[in-house]
Amino acid sequence: MNTDIAVGQTAPNTPGWLARLVDRYSWLVVILVALFLVTFFYGMVTAPNFLTLFNFKTIIRDAALVGIMAVGLTFVTLSGNFFLLSMKETAALAIIAFATAMSQGYGFELAFLFTMAVAVIAGGLQGILIGLGGNPIVVTLGAAGLFFGVASWWSDNLVVSFRRPHGAEWLGSGSFLGLPNITVAFIIIAVVAELVLRYTNFGRQVYLIGANRAAGKATGHENFSMAIKTCIIASACSAFVAIAFSAQVSSAHVNYFSSSFGSSGDMTILVIATVMVAGNSIMGGFGSSLRSSLGAVFISTVDNMMVLHGFNSGPRVLAVGLMIVFSIIVFALVRRGSRVQE
Amino acid sequence: MAKLKNWIIHNPDLAFAILLAVCVYSYFAITNDLFFTHRTSYAIMERFAVLGLVGLALTLCIIAGEIDLSIGSNAALAAVIVVRFTDSLGAGTAALIAMAVATVVGLIQGYFIAYLRIRAIVLTVGTLMLLRGVALFAAEEKTVMLTDFTVPDFISEKMFVYFSPASLLVIGVFVIVGLFMNYTRYGREIYAIGGARKEALASGIDLKRPMIIVFAISGFCAGLGGVIIGLRSGTAQALGLQYLLLAGTVAAFIGGVSILGGRGGVIGAAIGTLTVNFLNTGLVFNVTPAFMVQLYLGVLLMVVIIFQTGSQIFDTYQRRQQILGDVDRMRDELLARKREVEI
Repeated sequence: MNTDIAVGQTAPNTPGWLARLVDRYSWLVVILVALFLVTFFYGMVTAPNFLTLFNFKTIIRDAALVGIMAVGLTFVTLSGNFFLLSMKETAALAIIAFATAMSQGYGFELAFLFTMAVAVIAGGLQGILIGLGGNPIVVTLGAAGLFFGVASWWSDNLVVSFRRPHGAEWLGSGSFLGLPNITVAFIIIAVVAELVLRYTNFGRQVYLIGANRAAGKATGHENFSMAIKTCIIASACSAFVAIAFSAQVSSAHVNYFSSSFGSSGDMTILVIATVMVAGNSIMGGFGSSLRSSLGAVFISTVDNMMVLHGFNSGPRVLAVGLMIVFSIIVFALVRRGSRVQE
Repeated sequence: MAKLKNWIIHNPDLAFAILLAVCVYSYFAITNDLFFTHRTSYAIMERFAVLGLVGLALTLCIIAGEIDLSIGSNAALAAVIVVRFTDSLGAGTAALIAMAVATVVGLIQGYFIAYLRIRAIVLTVGTLMLLRGVALFAAEEKTVMLTDFTVPDFISEKMFVYFSPASLLVIGVFVIVGLFMNYTRYGREIYAIGGARKEALASGIDLKRPMIIVFAISGFCAGLGGVIIGLRSGTAQALGLQYLLLAGTVAAFIGGVSILGGRGGVIGAAIGTLTVNFLNTGLVFNVTPAFMVQLYLGVLLMVVIIFQTGSQIFDTYQRRQQILGDVDRMRDELLARKREVEI
């Protein structure tokens, strides 16, 4: 298993594409990618009803919730603050806030604003601690416990439900041009995030601080305000997902985003997995939100394929886990020695 | 007395941890009559058996400057394996298999982290999911259960008033790991790669060896913890035990590790875990729901982090002030010399 990149020895007769690939990356990478591609296409072709427009829509719809969160988390990751372990707990807090406001009869707009305010406070709190120099992992681990506790205490660990018809129905079950509104929201958020990251001052600052924090500091871009801003963006995306989910089921419970609710893995890890499978550098500065959105669609595609093949939740979680570990190894090997890696 | 003062000055973290533990214990002992009894102490030691292992594993990881997020999944996998195989193979063999699997998982993680030169959080988030999948697969997506309850009775049997075979075993693990960390070269290497990784690598330490050892120990502890939980309760869930990560991290941080690595120790881990256990048990006595315990733990972790970050900022400030002062002094000297030359 020699994985060192062979040092620029081009053979006198120009090598074939395979040899060049192996030369550029390594045996391990080429074999892993090839193995994966073969499995993927085999699964795609043999899965019943996979290649239909309806199924494609289903895939995008499944990807939407995780995708929106992943797009939000991408900002944090790109700015070099690793990731937030409190995504699902923020969502739990937001879903309780939203459902409580809705059940009190405040109407969709007020409830939405209230939930976003809660999310901004939650994100800002973590952002301040991270910006001051706290380790993002540990801070958000603590924050996760705190938010989950607050959300459970607020809802008394009960299901908060609000009656139909309510003002949020259009978001939960409405559709636009044949696509569910949540999917439309996902596409809009993904596009806007990509534009912001690419073409605005703020977006370029995110990349700068992530790529080289010392240079950012020297040019007057402190991580303190950046950490707060990116954490608020991630929290707001979590809150939006919570609102959309709550609008769909007209109720809320703190466990809606946990593994104990019966989803195939808990939301936080799935979101982080999405960001990493897409190949964003976890050290910051490299990647894009487009990658994350595509990562969400990709994970959802694989999941969909396995469902169509009739697998249970065990093999599906296993497959997602394998994909993450696999992509970590491949990206680490491909970027070996480059600055992105360190 | 002078000796004690000296010790406190040299071990401020440990002194703080002990103070906190005593405070928490006495608070519950005073407010609740039932808390200061033999039975409660036994219950605390029983909790210590599991949480102590996780706290120890996370302490070692954080000393090495990394964090093992997959510890809950690893423990859950071990619990599922041991419960599944106890009926057919006997408890001893099943426990050995589970612990071997967990250790090997940790070992492979350590190898890849050192080999790929990536941060442990990156890989362990992946393995968190992967191991969960393996555990679901091993449990066939059900809650697995023991049919024969002689083993659970045995491992929580009372010995020497406060202990059970499980907690005695865990105390043994603590002693061995403590000796290993303090008195062997390999143990000191772990401190070295955490406190000053670049310097350690430059002075010839191979990153692979300490990293593999840390994660192997972490995997072993997770495995043993999972085995104890599985056998004691007689059931295991593939998606359970995720709370261990938060509780273990809180224990490690109370025990005085620094997120920058290289600080803290096994004694700190034990005291940190005990503090968390006092809090846990005390809150249970006061009929607090489980999510409130999580809330308190979260707040506790945030407070510790605020303190650590604050002291970091203060240190940086002081160092900066010192550099500024030095520069000023040197400028004054130079100016004085210049004046002398001019005269």
